[in-house]
Amino acid sequence: MTAISPLQSIHKKSLFGDHHKKNEDDLLHIKEIKNLYIIQIVFYKNSQIKLDNIKIQNLEIPLHNLQVSSNANTRILWNGPNTWLVVSKKEDIMQSIKETCDDENFAVTDISHSRAIIQIKGPQAKEVLKKGSPLNFNDFNKNTCAGSVFHGINIVIDCIDDQSNTLLSTDSFNLLTLRSFGESLYHHITDASLEFGYLGT
Amino acid sequence: MLEIKCPYCGKRSQNEFSYGGDATVKRPDLEKEVSDKEWDDFLYYRKNPRGEHSELWHHVAGCRQWFKVLRSTITHEIFKTVKMNEEL
Repeated sequence: MTAISPLQSIHKKSLFGDHHKKNEDDLLHIKEIKNLYIIQIVFYKNSQIKLDNIKIQNLEIPLHNLQVSSNANTRILWNGPNTWLVVSKKEDIMQSIKETCDDENFAVTDISHSRAIIQIKGPQAKEVLKKGSPLNFNDFNKNTCAGSVFHGINIVIDCIDDQSNTLLSTDSFNLLTLRSFGESLYHHITDASLEFGYLGT
Repeated sequence: MLEIKCPYCGKRSQNEFSYGGDATVKRPDLEKEVSDKEWDDFLYYRKNPRGEHSELWHHVAGCRQWFKVLRSTITHEIFKTVKMNEEL
């Protein structure tokens, strides 16, 4: 999939903020994630089938809040009761979903072009998110997701990695928002990152 | 700032929610003949209790579900939150 990305005109690849004499690994890395397939799945209220057996590309559908099922190419995010977001690099993801989620029991919608995705990675990634979101990040680990707000903008926060070692923990988050809010969210995130220094990649 | 326990997502900040009004208001039945007073009561008249109040809230920035909240209008303490198909 190739498309004009939501942040194409504003995202800059360079060093910004308080980066002087800092190692690049200690800086925040901010980038736009493009060309992902985002599919929303909703299970109809009156459907009788059991969800335990439903698998999409060998991933079970998460049944509780905060949960994410993932492999190298695809992530299935719990987005509400009986509602999921499938975020994938695979071109045939829609076909895989349709094979397991039939029209009688599920509403499947391709919303790939209606979302902007910003990835923020680095030791202070959680500190940046704490500036604008009221979510409790203490228990927010790898493969956790939640819908929340960032300075009033509705976002979905997906923790894709939390590499911890003895010195630093480097967290990676994908932030999904409506495409039209993408630029505004990008400015909020980059403004909040200036004090730590960031590298646009 | 309130901390509201969404029945689906757990405790979240009030920022993520939207207030939806009195949870005890019932729309008159569709097939029933409705007087002007009954319609007025449904549309405009609300109790304004000092104490426990049943409310609707919407987790608009989270799971996007409506649910019921029993809250004190004096202290803002939230006693209970339940799903829409449950009783407070």
